[in-house]
Amino acid sequence: MKEILLKLNDVHVHYGGVHALDGASVAIDEGEIVALMGPNGAGKSTVLKAIFGIAPIHSGEVLWHEKKFVPIPHEVVKRGIAFVPQGRRVFKYLTVEENLEIGGFIVGDKGELRRRMDEIMETFPALKTKRKAKSGTLSGGQQQMLAIARGLMVDPKVLLLDEPSLGLAPKIVKEVFENIRLINERHKTAIVVVEHNIKSILSIVHRAYVLDKGKVAAHGKPEELLSSGVLEKIFLGA
Amino acid sequence: MYIPYVDIVPQLIANSVIAGAIYALIALGFNLIYGTTKFFNLAHGAVAACGAYAVFAILKTFALPVNIVVACAIGAFVAGIIGYGLERLIYRPLRRRKASNMVLMVASLGAFTALQAFIAILFTSQFQALESSGGISGAIEIYGAIITHTQVVIITCGIAIMAILAFIAKYTLFGKAVSAIKDDEEVARMVGIDTDRIIGKVFFIGSAIAGVAGILIGFDTGIEPTMGMNLLLKGTIASIIGGVGSLYGGFLGAFVLGFAENFGIWKISGEWKDAIAFVVLIVFLLVRPEGIIKK
Repeated sequence: MKEILLKLNDVHVHYGGVHALDGASVAIDEGEIVALMGPNGAGKSTVLKAIFGIAPIHSGEVLWHEKKFVPIPHEVVKRGIAFVPQGRRVFKYLTVEENLEIGGFIVGDKGELRRRMDEIMETFPALKTKRKAKSGTLSGGQQQMLAIARGLMVDPKVLLLDEPSLGLAPKIVKEVFENIRLINERHKTAIVVVEHNIKSILSIVHRAYVLDKGKVAAHGKPEELLSSGVLEKIFLGA
Repeated sequence: MYIPYVDIVPQLIANSVIAGAIYALIALGFNLIYGTTKFFNLAHGAVAACGAYAVFAILKTFALPVNIVVACAIGAFVAGIIGYGLERLIYRPLRRRKASNMVLMVASLGAFTALQAFIAILFTSQFQALESSGGISGAIEIYGAIITHTQVVIITCGIAIMAILAFIAKYTLFGKAVSAIKDDEEVARMVGIDTDRIIGKVFFIGSAIAGVAGILIGFDTGIEPTMGMNLLLKGTIASIIGGVGSLYGGFLGAFVLGFAENFGIWKISGEWKDAIAFVVLIVFLLVRPEGIIKK
């Protein structure tokens, strides 16, 4: 039986008077890909931010291997959780190689850092040819690959991806999703992905959560969600 | 003492380089801090004065039997600790409360005033000499320009510190972490950088460099509690005209300012020096507000 790696229990996140999360509970098992879906403002990105200590948790708990912890960004990374934020947000004045180096900031050992960098360059060959280029000069797709690659530098057990397809051409989106699937397959990394591109993402995930107004409205396997009609109800109000 | 005739141009060049090196020392620390935190740390000038007065206390007030180099190192360390203390006790709590850069700047102005008053209470408001009893006295002549040994040390320190900072920025993980924080502090935290810790170190390093500037100016021209204001103004102008937040920009801007000031007063009274500095600033703000080195 797979172990639960990461769990959010009845988490409430408030921004002033706005309840971004209103008692959401989400669990991520070892080695699975989980999608977080829902309309705008449903609280999908806030789930990732709460896990990472970027969103202020009003009540509820975050558990890692069934143990409660208070998320603080730079400490969450040390536990083996990496976050790839929305909009790519690579360090545009640093080169591709420097971005990866910074991605492995907590690794410490230079030899290990180099080994991981070489391994990642093999996974993302497009980055290999651009290793000395300033990342601000890369295309949107390449920046997204770099942002994911940067997250992989800590060899995470859980990778959090916030809208990786945002602003990318359909062909590139397909490439990004294929890379997500490969990372999961090769490294057994659990991946939590927030995505609007429902059809594409459901083809690569093991499970999905549907959020609405800060609450989990439904969860299950992709085929269960597709046949239940819950997606139409949440997204189209049907 | 017989002073040989010096052709004015070599001396003007020498004076420009000396002034540039002083402004560079202030601008380097100022830009390092601004680049990382995005606010004008106005206390920077007073921190420089603290470094100078720490050396004054060691060598004159308590007349401790220490080597002048050791005294200067302690002075720079004291300035670094004061800068770090300001970050830890004032700026960091304000940043945690999501204070705007304007609030941080006003807080730094308060810190400037308090430090300046503190120095005046401890050491009086009088102008004091910080001449050394063993070491940097005398002068050299280059193409007719007279440069004191203290001024040689100022130029050497300005260039050496710039080179060290450039090396750190380019080749160390710490330097790259600073660049990452400059670019996007939130994402820097997401990749595992303890940004508070790095910013604390940046304040220490930037303030220690300011301390070095204060100490060297002290040996060159003397010290007074208000010396920080002029240093701050010139360092800030150098930063803005060079490219605020840019290491190389601050360095370049400092020398541009040094040359503009010294050649500007070639045919007019030296009292116009500060006015020239502000004219240069205004011209840059109007024509090239991003500074010489555009990011």
